[in-house]
This record gives sequence, C-alpha cells and structure tokens, in this order.
Amino acid sequence: MSAYILPIIFIALFCYSKYKKVNTYDTFVKGAKKSIPLVVDIFPYIATIMIAVALLRASGITAMLATALSPIFNALGIPTELIELVLLRPFTGSGSFALLNDVLVQYGPDSYISRCACVILGCSETIFYVTTVYLSQTKVKKLLYAIPVALICATFGAVLACLLCKIM
Amino acid sequence: MVVGSICFLIWSDPANILNVMIGASGEAFSLCIELCAVYAVWMGILELVEASGLGQKLAKLLHPVIKKLFKINDVETEKMLALNMSANMLGLGNAATPMGINAMKRLDDGSGVATPAIIMLIVLNATSIQLLPSTVIGLRASAGSTSPSDIILPTIIATACTCALGICLVKLFGKIWKPKSNSNSISQNKNIKSIKKIDKACKFHYSNKNFKLKKISFKNKKEKNK
Repeated sequence: MSAYILPIIFIALFCYSKYKKVNTYDTFVKGAKKSIPLVVDIFPYIATIMIAVALLRASGITAMLATALSPIFNALGIPTELIELVLLRPFTGSGSFALLNDVLVQYGPDSYISRCACVILGCSETIFYVTTVYLSQTKVKKLLYAIPVALICATFGAVLACLLCKIM
Repeated sequence: MVVGSICFLIWSDPANILNVMIGASGEAFSLCIELCAVYAVWMGILELVEASGLGQKLAKLLHPVIKKLFKINDVETEKMLALNMSANMLGLGNAATPMGINAMKRLDDGSGVATPAIIMLIVLNATSIQLLPSTVIGLRASAGSTSPSDIILPTIIATACTCALGICLVKLFGKIWKPKSNSNSISQNKNIKSIKKIDKACKFHYSNKNFKLKKISFKNKKEKNK
C-alpha cells in the first residue's frame, strides 16, 4: 500500500503542473540544478560531524558511557542492551541503523528488545546532524535551548517506546 | 569530547586515528554524493510544486498551524515550512532537508543568535512526526520478522508524544528566555501582559544604558580635570 503513495503523488503533481501550463521539463531541470551547490555547501559540515562521531565510537567512549549510565537508564525502563543505541542515535543515522541490525540479528526480530529498538529508531531523529545541516547556510551560532530540548524529547521518546512495547 | 576521544585513542590505538578520520570523511563524501542524487530529484519536484502553485495551497492549508508555532508573516517562508513539515510527516527526511535549509535561511536575522522560530524548526525536525518508519520496517522484514509492521502503532504514538512535548518545551523555554530574545517576534504577540513586561524590560535596559553613559561621562570629566 505504502509503496503506491509516492508514485501517485508524483503523477498527480505532473498532471497538475501540465494542467497549470507549467513547463515541466525546464522547471524540473532548474530545481535539480540547485542540488549540486547545496551539497557542496553542506559537505564540510557533514564531514566534520561524521569524523567527530567516528572518533568517539572508535575510542570506545560511547561504550564506556553506556555502562556508566546503565543504572540511570535502567531506572527509566530502558534495557541495558539498548543504551548505546539511545546514545548514538542523535549523532549518526547510518551508525544507529547498523546497531539496530546487530540487535535484530542477536535477539531475533520479534523479541521485546528488538521491538523496543525499532520504535526508538522510528520515533527519533539524528538531532546533531539535522541541526548542523539546517544551520549550515545561516549565521546562527548561539542555539540557546534548542539542543537540550531536542535531547530531552529524544530521551522521553525512548522511555515511552520501551513502555509502549511492554503494553502492546 | 572530540579531544578527549583523540587522547583516549592515542593511549589505546595510536596508529588508527588517521585511518578512522579519513574513513569517516570518505563516508561523509559518499553520503554527500548519495544526498546529491536524492536532492536532485526532490528539488526538481519542489520547483514543480512551487511553479504550479501547489506550494501556496499547501501553505494556506497549514497556515493556522504554522502561525501558531512560528509566529511569522512571510508567505514565502510559510510555503517552505509547510513543504518541510509535510515531507517530514511522510517520512521523507531527506526530501525535507532542502526546504528546511531554505526556510532557515529566511528565518535567520543575521544576529548570530537563534530566534524562537529557528529553535522551533530545529526541534520540530528533530522530533518529526513520522507516519511510516519505512527503513525500520524494511530492516525488520529482512531480519525475518513474522509481522514487521506491528511497530507502526507504538512508533506513531511515541513520535506524536515527543513532538507535542518538544513544542510545549520550546514554548515554555521561549517564555523564560523572552527578555534576552529578539523583540521583533514578540511584538507581534497580542498579549497585553507580555507587552507590558517587555516595556518594563526595555525601560530597565535603557535606564541601565543611561546609567552606564553617565558613568563614562563622569570618568571622562575626572580625567580631564586631572
């Protein structure tokens, strides 16, 4: 079902723009052309944050943090096995999906832990990545309370995810 | 934190530092090429949406929500925000990014400090409501789950809750931070109480400034007398 949504939207859009007498081909080309400068602009930001994350992971600090923080997370209802996932999720999308795959293989896709992991990933975003990319074209340097709020929400989401998986 | 991890690596595995860094930047490069392809498609579509006037319609549809959340009065920005939010809801994070960047550019006032609207956009994108967590479902299916889609309902509930919490927190923090924030966005607030508050804050600010000026002139006089 979900596989049909996008194609239908696209076809509807093309038909609508034809109906509105927009030059479809030229407009599309014009838009697609803008993608290269955009990517060139955001590449340094993506590279920097990915290098920082890779260093963090390679040094094993995240794993150490996970064991150090396990009492707190356990008190919140998050299983020990998922702490590293929760910690890494705000930094890296591909990294956390790799971790999710490990969890799925190790514990079986229908176990409680795997379902928790799936919901946690589904309801959160790569906060730091989103922030750096979105702000790469602006002069904003001081973020005030944006990151703390986002992190609080992510933690709350993880707790809620574990709770919901227990009930459902 | 980065310095700390480098120090830690020097102690544990010094030969590997450069490899890790170059590997990561290579990963970033391939990600960017992938993104370039994705953006080319989506920005083409975006251009079509705008040229055909659909963007305007979507913005009108989401106008009440955007007005409540961002407190802005710019049609162009509103359009970008509407597209960004609808793409996020469909689970198209990568498609939402170019529009989000455009909206950010328009929201930026050049002061270097995030305005409440910018913070709201960041938090909304960081906690975005996802109706279809397609990647996760795909991974579950390939791992051999008996019902890969049974996580959809808990995910939607959880993501709706985090999104609501995010909006509430931003609004709450925005109230606490008001004296420091830009008065432009606040002046549109029709709440008389808050205007009175700002008045007071401004008066305080100016009296402070006058006081400082007096101090400086006083000092100058002193120096001249000497």
